[in-house]
Amino acid sequence: MNARLFAGRGLTLLQAQYWAGALAAVFAFLACAVSGELGPGLVLVFVAAFVGGHLYGPRVYGKGEWGWTVFIVGAFFVLVAQVITTGLDVVLAACQFAVLLCIHRLWHRRTQRDELLLMLMSLLLLCAGAALSAELTFGFAFLAYSVCATWAMALTHLRFEIEAGRGPAGSAALLQSRRIATPALLGGLAALALMGLVGGAIVFFTFPRVTIGGLRRATRNQPAPGLGDRVDLAAHGVVPDDPRVVLRVRLAPDPGRQTLDMHWRARALEVWTGRGWRMYGSGVGAPMRRLPPAPWLFHAYGRRGPPLVADIEAVAGFSDGVVITPEGWPLGVEFKRPLNAAGTQPHLLVGGAGDLFYQPVDVGDLHYVVTVNDEEPSRDLMRRRPTKYPTWLQVDLEVPGNLDPRVAALARQLGGGKDPADAAMAIEAYLSSKLGYTRELPGEVKDPIADFLFVRKKGHCELFSSAMVLMLRTLGIPARNVTGYYGGELTAGGYYAVRAGDAHSWVEVYFPQIGFTRFDPTPAGERGSQLDSMWARVVLLWDSLQQKWRAFVVDYDLVSQAQAVKRIGAALDEAARRLSGKAGAAPRLRVALLAVLALAGAGLLGFALRRVRLPSLGGKEGRRALGPDQRRALQLWRKARVRLLRAGLDLSPATTPREAARRSRLEAASAVASAYAAARWGGAPLPSETARALLRRLDTELRGDA
Amino acid sequence: MSTPAWKRRLKTTKLGWWFIGMTFGIGVAAINTGNNLLFLVLGMLLASIIVSGILSEQSLRAVRIERRLPAGASAGQPALVGLVARNGKKRAPSFSLELREKGGDIQGRGFLVVLGAQQTAEVAYRFVPHRRGLHRFEQLEVATRAPFGLFEKSRPLDAPAEMVVFPRKVPPPAAQPQALAREGERPEDRIGLGLEVHSLRDHRAGEDARTIHWKSSARHGRLIGVDREQERRRRVCIVVDNRALGGAPLDRAVERAAALVERELDAGAEVSVSVAGRRLPAGSGDTHLREALTLLALLETAPASPPPEPDPQASVIEARP
Repeated sequence: MNARLFAGRGLTLLQAQYWAGALAAVFAFLACAVSGELGPGLVLVFVAAFVGGHLYGPRVYGKGEWGWTVFIVGAFFVLVAQVITTGLDVVLAACQFAVLLCIHRLWHRRTQRDELLLMLMSLLLLCAGAALSAELTFGFAFLAYSVCATWAMALTHLRFEIEAGRGPAGSAALLQSRRIATPALLGGLAALALMGLVGGAIVFFTFPRVTIGGLRRATRNQPAPGLGDRVDLAAHGVVPDDPRVVLRVRLAPDPGRQTLDMHWRARALEVWTGRGWRMYGSGVGAPMRRLPPAPWLFHAYGRRGPPLVADIEAVAGFSDGVVITPEGWPLGVEFKRPLNAAGTQPHLLVGGAGDLFYQPVDVGDLHYVVTVNDEEPSRDLMRRRPTKYPTWLQVDLEVPGNLDPRVAALARQLGGGKDPADAAMAIEAYLSSKLGYTRELPGEVKDPIADFLFVRKKGHCELFSSAMVLMLRTLGIPARNVTGYYGGELTAGGYYAVRAGDAHSWVEVYFPQIGFTRFDPTPAGERGSQLDSMWARVVLLWDSLQQKWRAFVVDYDLVSQAQAVKRIGAALDEAARRLSGKAGAAPRLRVALLAVLALAGAGLLGFALRRVRLPSLGGKEGRRALGPDQRRALQLWRKARVRLLRAGLDLSPATTPREAARRSRLEAASAVASAYAAARWGGAPLPSETARALLRRLDTELRGDA
Repeated sequence: MSTPAWKRRLKTTKLGWWFIGMTFGIGVAAINTGNNLLFLVLGMLLASIIVSGILSEQSLRAVRIERRLPAGASAGQPALVGLVARNGKKRAPSFSLELREKGGDIQGRGFLVVLGAQQTAEVAYRFVPHRRGLHRFEQLEVATRAPFGLFEKSRPLDAPAEMVVFPRKVPPPAAQPQALAREGERPEDRIGLGLEVHSLRDHRAGEDARTIHWKSSARHGRLIGVDREQERRRRVCIVVDNRALGGAPLDRAVERAAALVERELDAGAEVSVSVAGRRLPAGSGDTHLREALTLLALLETAPASPPPEPDPQASVIEARP
């Protein structure tokens, strides 16, 4: 027996149970850690504690408990102090404390209570993860947790049932058996977990999304490339081609192209710092009631089609409070309901340079629709504009005093004496054709513009745009540096993805009565991301999944529920309409539906009747387990019982044949009881004739008795 | 009415209450924050409860149990009762099954980790009956806390049975000299298979040569055969007068009587038992021992019954408290 139990490879029940519990805790921690808010220190502590608990936990179990108590209580007070004094987010503090409790449980695993507490802590960590993160990575950690937690629950239950039922000595063989936690069992449990997830999904989609709204927690934003309020041109290294998606865009009308050659404007940087650019003033201005009016020549652009409507999802952590707009003049901005749980509706602000912002910044992902007139003024329209500029453009005309004289000389050489529009076009053409593009940064140089124009003669987009702005300013033409993104790639999700690596910089030149007009001196083939690697495609695929996750899970709310109910209702209405024949549906369809319903009803009725009629000890299986004489004995007793009941004897279900015989005081009943016991339990034969004779005798005695 | 096959009992375990509490707490948190991921966790927990119910039903479905009673059990001595479970499902195994007695005089349980499809397994529980007499069994119950131990679902099955527990085993009282007076195997005055000579006669052709009485044959000059006497086994009658005895004194008398029955039967005697209003005829063998012990096990005070009638041909031993 034992040899069979220990045979086979794989995990023993104890090992499987141990690792299932441990993995559930790890995946719950991962669900928490993917938010990135726990900090590297706590992540390292958890990893070390997990390994330490595995290696040394059983040895030190029960020792130095006071140390653990001091550690946990101390950590609690430290976190409380941080919440009070440093303003540490209370939810984050609670999550950190849950991690410490989980570590404590990982070092204490012996009894059933220990294991159950570990599972409880894992569940708390998972909930903490739900509060900290809304990323798809949480979804994967949740999926893995569901499987591992199912294993852990089932195997823990099995382990301690065995221990309770057989005692420590008797259970040892089973617990060390490799024939219980087999791949088949683990696979079955995993399937069970997936069933649970399907059920969970049903609950998720049907549970009414009414919310009280307390204790909401906003997502934290991080600075993003291409959106900063300053640019440093003298940095070291290489401009990273970051494949992460920052914008998800759907355009109407659909351009029908795989890639876009479109500028996504973020903000203007107007003040030259000597080694780069910074924003003028504080940036964010007063709340905007409506967008600034278009210049009066705007109508002369000559619209040939409808305005461009861009439905934009700015991914949390990248938007940084800036409303990114497609190239063209914005006609309207409409914020959609927020994608995150914070539920705060942002409002629009305008900056000093006419840039658009939203507040509050920490609403997480931002979803908005921008309508723009993407028609650009023709070159002819730009020419012959007055050269007297309003005073508020002074900042866009400022030339740094220490600018290398060669810059001005080159500007004069290219555009001196020309119309501002022609001068801008000439400088743009010169830069894009005569200078090269590289993502390598120049490093620490005294004058990055002079170094770019006259020494290295190559650089990245910010050097191109900066050089053009300064050259135009030396000619007295107002210009400013603009940052944002360039491009966009169609994804499997049907939207255009703009990556962080698409960060770009270009120039806006002011023309009276037209406004600022875009010029881009960076060579056309070098703008935006140049990524076409497998990794970039994987990132795009990931983003597609992420977008679906957000759309169907994170973004699911009462409105979505109402829409879903409405759709189902409409579908049912339509079906009813068709069935009633109003929609011209064939009567055959009605007949088929009625037939299906009748069949289903009959099946259900049959099943119910079968369940009710099944005798307690009968049923096919029960009868099959008995021999013919035993079955006959059973029937004899049932029939005799019915006769005795009819005769008025009070028999409960638990009354034995002998008891019935004693109560009836009938010899025939005693004979039936003896025959029943002999055949049912004693292996004695009970021919049918004997059984019938016994029943006849019973009938006779009952009649005589009556 | 017998217990219907669909009847189930559902009980929430301590862990189950904790689980429900956690689910409720997470539900409140989800509604409070509107955090969809908490709704996802809530959905998983609620679905776990539903899946747990479905699986526990699957575990119980088509599982039949029967009881196997021991051939004999004596008060004060451990006995084993077997519980045989059969999984009638074609494919699905049943997990974590507890088979137990419900109602009745005896409580016991056995645990099966897994019962494969179409398989039968037996578990046994040990119990120590504290009194002699009839013990009733009412229902058997098959229960499971699978898969997570949150709820215990059980299915009762009618399985009435009774078992006679024999009197407690005690050392027999010392033999009485009066009782020994007629002890020993006694010859009867008829031809039989004993050792004593009954009569001599002429040897008949074809008879076994061992029946030839050689001394007489030598004396008479012809073959003389011998007939042996039929010997009767020693007969003992154990008497218990249960008219005036009751409670503990009756139990003690019964225990002594049972010890005497066993001792005499072991010694090869034919034993009859006489109690108020009834007498078990003399006999020997295991079946007779069981009948005698059953009579004694079920013996109760019978003040109105006629006095015990001892076997006139047997040595009488009266069992007293």
